[in-house]
Amino acid sequence: MKLVVNQVGKSFGARTILKNVDLTVNSHEFICILGHSGCGKSTLLNMIAGYLLPDDGSITVDGDEIKRPSKSRGMVFQDHALFPWMTIKDNIAFGPEVQKVPKAQAKETAMEFLKLVGLEPYASHYPGELSGGMKQRVGIARALASKPDILLMDEPFGALDVLTRETMRVELQKICSQLKPTILFVTHSISEAVYLADRVVVMKHGEIAEIFEVGIKHPRSSHSAGFGEMMSRIERVLMDEEHLELAQAKVGS
Amino acid sequence: MNGAKITAVKDGGSGASTLVGSPVMNKQVRGKSSSAVSRFFQKYNILPSILFFVFWELFSRVNETAKFFNPNFLPAPTVLLQEGWELAKTGIITDSLISSTIRIALGFVIGSAFAVGLGVIMSKFKTVERWFSPILNLVGPIPTLALLPLFIIWFGIGEFPKVLLIAWTTFIPVLVYTLDGFKSVPSTLIRSALSLGATERQIFTRVMLPSAIPNFLVGAQVSLGLSFSALIVSEMMGAKSGLGYIIVDARNYFKISNMFIAIILIGLEYSLFSYLLKLVEKRVMVWRKGGLRDAIEK
Repeated sequence: MKLVVNQVGKSFGARTILKNVDLTVNSHEFICILGHSGCGKSTLLNMIAGYLLPDDGSITVDGDEIKRPSKSRGMVFQDHALFPWMTIKDNIAFGPEVQKVPKAQAKETAMEFLKLVGLEPYASHYPGELSGGMKQRVGIARALASKPDILLMDEPFGALDVLTRETMRVELQKICSQLKPTILFVTHSISEAVYLADRVVVMKHGEIAEIFEVGIKHPRSSHSAGFGEMMSRIERVLMDEEHLELAQAKVGS
Repeated sequence: MNGAKITAVKDGGSGASTLVGSPVMNKQVRGKSSSAVSRFFQKYNILPSILFFVFWELFSRVNETAKFFNPNFLPAPTVLLQEGWELAKTGIITDSLISSTIRIALGFVIGSAFAVGLGVIMSKFKTVERWFSPILNLVGPIPTLALLPLFIIWFGIGEFPKVLLIAWTTFIPVLVYTLDGFKSVPSTLIRSALSLGATERQIFTRVMLPSAIPNFLVGAQVSLGLSFSALIVSEMMGAKSGLGYIIVDARNYFKISNMFIAIILIGLEYSLFSYLLKLVEKRVMVWRKGGLRDAIEK
């Protein structure tokens, strides 16, 4: 599988969200898209998912242009987007079921992925009865149960508290080492990006500012060699303009 | 609308009884029988209704001798029971109950079915909505009772205009609520279903429909009260049976007790229907949490 984003641009009305975005994602790669809110990172992800279409350029998977959502590109949302009227198990079985897998087998797949995220005891619970972190784990299991070629994650841990966030990223890392999926992960947390990603794509004002290769061995922690250095390098790219603007504002006044 | 008010009052009542009831229960651990009674009343909140009828009975009995006003105007509940039994023996009560129930059930089901059907079409095709919604906005707010004489002229005094009137009364609120339900399905739910490989049809049956059910049920609750008044009024004009008919007949012969019997039966029938709807709601919406009861533990 190879995802190619080629010279993509998108604007809503007069507002340009993205311009000249180039990105290539290979199989089994974990890529984090990092940027301030409003920098267009979610728009890019939504276009790769097929919810939005690019105004300029093209997005292709193995040479085929993306025209609509597909089960080969799974999505995990910040607000988890579980179906509230289905039990956890039915939520995860939804993907296989709509793809015409026999019911019994779909349920089996659901249990398998529930086990993967450690939520077997909650199979017959409804989403409303689960905590935020659990819901997000179900969301990941549901997306994985359809066996997508690439998993798109739109700030999946953005609504969680700091402690849950830490555990979630450890768990996501474990799942990755087990299944070796291809993941495109949108976040605005630098440490999260450095912790998880093979490559960190830093976006600013609708453009890719810089791409960093994170060569640190898994499992990583904030004490891993090079972790802090990588973080400050990324931070410099992400922040420098603001510092400049601030400085200019001071001079002006 | 009245129905909603009644249930709201009922709920409030049971909440209050739990507050009052629990210390009583703690105190009366020794007296087994009285704690059983209080537990019974906690489970079935009928004490207020019983008191209501007891008070009514007392007042009517006192009025018979004290003559605050003509005692015939407000017969005591026990008298009503007697008279009701007499009336039941003639068979008119069962006949009326049956025909009223058939009318309301038929009208309600037909009205809801058409409303959901049109709701589906309107939410799927923008043009249909563009054409229909201005017309519905024009016709919808007209009180259906205003249409009844017209219906009678058009369709006669048979069953058809009555059922049609009830169906129409059900139709408008159910359509409005259901349509709102379809429109307010969170877009992330649809997006995630699409990314899981669902076809447009599967999205409709497995995401849009279930997610609009709560709204549909609210519409059904609202329209139940309205369609009951449509039922009674349509039975008051040109009918040979039905609870509304008993009221008009009783007025013509000045049988006030019969009027009360019909009124009470209407109340009971409404409660039954509303209870059935609540049962459906409970079954369908097990997943739903929230409200004051879940907000804090008491």
